[in-house]
Amino acid sequence: MPQPLPAKEATLFRSLVKYYEGKLYKKGLKAAEQILKKHPNHGDTEAMKALILNSLNQGDEAFALCKEALRHDMKSHVCWHVYGLLWRSVKNYPEAIKSYKMALRLEPTSLSILRDLALLQCQVRDYEGYIESRRKMMQDRPQLRQNWTALAVAYHLAGNLAEAENVLNTYEETLKQPPPKSDLEHSEATLYKNTIIAESGDLVRALEHLDGIINNSLDRSAALELKGQYLLQLGRNDQATALYRVLLDRNSEYRAYFDGLEKALGLDRSNTADIEKLTKLYQAHASNNKRNDASRRIPLDFLTGEAFKTAADDYLRRMLNKGVPSTFPNIKSLYQDPEKKAVIEELVLGYVSDKQTNGSAEGESNSQVALLNSDRFEQSVLYFLAQHYNYVQSRDLAKAMDYIDRLLEMDPKSVDYNQTKARILKHAGDIQKASETMNHARELDVRDRYINTKCAKYQLRNNENENALETMSKFTRNEAVGGPLGDLHDMQCMWYLLEDGEAFLRQQKYGLALKRFTTIADIFEIWYEDQFDFHSFSLRKGQIRAYIDMVRWEDHLRDHPFYTRAATQAIDLYLQLADNPQLSSADQTGLDKLDPTERKKAEKKAKKEREKAEKAEADRKAAAAAKATAKGDDGETKKEDPDPNGEQLLQTKEPLEVALKFLRPMLELSPLIIEAQNAGFEVYIRRNKHLLALKCLLSARDIDPENPKLHEQSVRFRQAVTKPSEPLSSQASQVIQESFTAPSADADLEAYNNDFLKKHAQSASHLQSGYNVRYILDNSSKAQNEEDLQKTLDLSDITIQEAQAGLALLDQWKSEQKAKDDYRAKAAGRWSQATVFKN
Amino acid sequence: MDIRVLRPSDIPHVQLANITNLPENYFCKYYLYHAMSWPQLSYVAVDVSRPPKTPYDPPKIVGYVLAKMEEDPSDGVQHGHITSLSVMRTHRRLGLAEKLMRQSQRAMAETFNAHYVSLHVRMSNLAALHLYRETLGFTVEKVESKYYADGEDAYSMRIELADLKEQLLDEQEAYEDEGEAVGDEGTEEERKEREEKREKRKAERKMRVRVGRNKGVMDLVEKNEVAAA
Ligand SMILES: CC(C)(COP(=O)(O)OP(=O)(O)OC[C@H]1O[C@@H](n2cnc3c(N)ncnc32)[C@H](O)[C@@H]1OP(=O)(O)O)[C@@H](O)C(=O)NCCC(=O)NCCS
Repeated sequence: MPQPLPAKEATLFRSLVKYYEGKLYKKGLKAAEQILKKHPNHGDTEAMKALILNSLNQGDEAFALCKEALRHDMKSHVCWHVYGLLWRSVKNYPEAIKSYKMALRLEPTSLSILRDLALLQCQVRDYEGYIESRRKMMQDRPQLRQNWTALAVAYHLAGNLAEAENVLNTYEETLKQPPPKSDLEHSEATLYKNTIIAESGDLVRALEHLDGIINNSLDRSAALELKGQYLLQLGRNDQATALYRVLLDRNSEYRAYFDGLEKALGLDRSNTADIEKLTKLYQAHASNNKRNDASRRIPLDFLTGEAFKTAADDYLRRMLNKGVPSTFPNIKSLYQDPEKKAVIEELVLGYVSDKQTNGSAEGESNSQVALLNSDRFEQSVLYFLAQHYNYVQSRDLAKAMDYIDRLLEMDPKSVDYNQTKARILKHAGDIQKASETMNHARELDVRDRYINTKCAKYQLRNNENENALETMSKFTRNEAVGGPLGDLHDMQCMWYLLEDGEAFLRQQKYGLALKRFTTIADIFEIWYEDQFDFHSFSLRKGQIRAYIDMVRWEDHLRDHPFYTRAATQAIDLYLQLADNPQLSSADQTGLDKLDPTERKKAEKKAKKEREKAEKAEADRKAAAAAKATAKGDDGETKKEDPDPNGEQLLQTKEPLEVALKFLRPMLELSPLIIEAQNAGFEVYIRRNKHLLALKCLLSARDIDPENPKLHEQSVRFRQAVTKPSEPLSSQASQVIQESFTAPSADADLEAYNNDFLKKHAQSASHLQSGYNVRYILDNSSKAQNEEDLQKTLDLSDITIQEAQAGLALLDQWKSEQKAKDDYRAKAAGRWSQATVFKN
Repeated sequence: MDIRVLRPSDIPHVQLANITNLPENYFCKYYLYHAMSWPQLSYVAVDVSRPPKTPYDPPKIVGYVLAKMEEDPSDGVQHGHITSLSVMRTHRRLGLAEKLMRQSQRAMAETFNAHYVSLHVRMSNLAALHLYRETLGFTVEKVESKYYADGEDAYSMRIELADLKEQLLDEQEAYEDEGEAVGDEGTEEERKEREEKREKRKAERKMRVRVGRNKGVMDLVEKNEVAAA
């Protein structure tokens, strides 16, 4: 029961609520003060005041005051409701739900409490609770279609398709006459119902229902697509054929439609007898549509031999004559087939001499235009070849460089040519020159953000964090709080934050690296939070199918490679911190090799430098922040980040706990990524969770039984369970005995490892793993390992990245400088341009 | 490259394409706002030919158009608006931007009954200007001075959708006639009959549309009078 107020204060209280809703916080506070002066223990007023304080970023005061309010008035639904809102604002959803439920118990008819509860239930995927709340809301206002749709959505998300359909039917039956065709909400609701019927698997009924609504569906593309799918799955091929033709008339650049048409016509690309029909089909489409690409490009996928050569010739000439610089990216996927790769190479090389003998590829008369065209053709051809020889499947960097240099002679100011030159340099390992060249390309067109972006990326690859930010700042909103970096953060520019973090990691600036990787995880958190408003918004808009799509996407949001990339590297760093806590005390270049006194000195010096840098950074920040607020065009003032350099992250006392936070979403959502399982093993084994570690091991084995990291982990796991640091439970022992068999319990681990080395004698990464295992089993093998590791540099297939990983292994073994220098020198001999092996 | 409607799961890479290509950027929620309000209007160009690296590969977006309906049109006429359009430099001049725009325009007319589409473009952006004016048929409405954050002026451009809508109605009618015809053999005579029926309806529709347009104007006048009263 809320405490009653005299008439005057009651009026004041009502305006207090109004002020809050209208965001007139100052007035609201004043009203609250007025009431509290006379009724200092009035719980509802305190609660409302707390709510306003919370909106004014005074969260701690708000919580304290709301607790006070509850002490004064335990039985007030207002106080509990506010308490729930406060919890919700700090994203503690379980507590918020508890408070809302409490409020609702005190005031069962309050629609606003019910709505807040419902939205939160949906957000945390408590669908049973959501159904219940939505049912109550529908019963309260059955005249609103939204409320019925919402209930159906709740059932649908909970997986109860029959009930979802039932609810929608019940509402439809109350309609006296069908709404007009222009009623978008109705059109969407009927299509939504149709997708529910289809999901239930009854396609005959789904098709019947769709036929009844299709002519009134305002989203024609979707309706026609659904119909096509039903017809195909039901085997009604004649109708499906007609339908996919309609769809292709609407959009002829969508492979799904061509696939549908092929299926409907019973054509099969793997059946040679069908190839001719397929060819005709695509030819017909191409001749009807001059600007269509798909009908010309798709046949290159299924044609072979002479037919492929002819079609490829036509296609390439058409594009190169037009001077389309993107021709190569558009066809390079064909290179998975070595034969097609060879044919294309031969064709395009032919065009070079073509041009030289004929003067013009098209045999035009010697007019100005023809000259221009033949120039364009020649350049397109050379540009194609430069990209061809730069591409991983057909790489010959010397040739690539030769072609690009010829082009640059003809057109030194071309952004594309300079950009490609930078890419070639990057592949040769010369990241320094690559960065310079890309910057040169950028300067040729300072208004194009694409080239600006590439330039920043190349600078980061070359560990030039400051230059990169300077480059980015040419297109960011630099008046944002935190300057350019603040803007990139606000705009969720993940690629930059990731590359920035990775560059810091390479420079052993661990705090900043962790900072960036954590920011990525934070952005995913924001993305998940973003859906909240749409639980209600989408019902108002009536676009339910899109909403369902979004909810399903949000459910597996973190299987995105950006998350995996940030998480695996963050976990790796936290593991290092767990193994070697000193890592956090300095940017450790070589500290661990010094004797104790020298080391102390060095650490002291590092600390001083760090403090100096921090102070400079703080000053810079303060200045930037002052400027930003002075300008004041950011509206809301953002809180200053108390840990901009990730020092606090680095100082964590519980690195493994933090690692777990990064790990869990990966294991849940991307279990088929082997790096995730590798990381999981490392975290769990350090926490003595043998069964969980084993689970990761077995999952990794399912993905790739020959994975190098898996090999090392299997041997370590065998060691760990043979001599456990704490005795294993009998249950755990039994599970391990039954499911962990490679290497077997009585295996000679050395012999086991030698078999692995023999089996993978040509693969650098496998050999590296084998040598590392040899080191783990017996660290007196170090000299032998170092010698063998150097030999991997002679392998024909070894990549720069693998060679770099070998170098990292020498660090791990704490090898002498000489061993590292020798390795480096040998690698530098092989990759003469590579920056990483230069000293 | 596929051209298809944008799905929520495309958003991370649409955002990536946007911040790679253009200075006007948005956070995820703004994309969601488009995708949840007008899910039919935004389109993406996707490289579908690359073999997947993992089972979780996101679609490789190489271009996109982010579009909306004007919520409170100041002229009272339903119309669409292009919020953002860009194509990765590696995939330009393949016709992707043009095709993205055409799909979006069609959906604006078909689903939301838009009468025209508007957009802004930097006066210095020759590629985009060429695309809008020459290829797609937009015209310059006016110049908006200092429209962009860096002080550059914008052309405000638009294209009427009346012709497109005509064409869409024809298509739909053809489709519905086909539907009627399914099952019967469709003799020469019957086909002719259908054809004639369609022509007749087309003529009728032209009338309707014209009347409708007039009525639209009158509605406006009435509204103004009410407002004045
Ligand atoms: C503008 C942009 C979207 C064009 O994308 P695109 O996919 O390359 O364009 P298309 O291939 O569909 O081009 C269609 C037509 O536009 C015109 N066009 C496109 N790029 C052009 C250029 N660089 N110069 C002159 N005309 C150009 C041509 O008429 C072309 O037809 P054609 O190739 O048959 O001659 C792209 O250049 C881009 O993303 N730029 C950066 C971002 C941007 O400026 N966005 C527009 C903001 S309003």
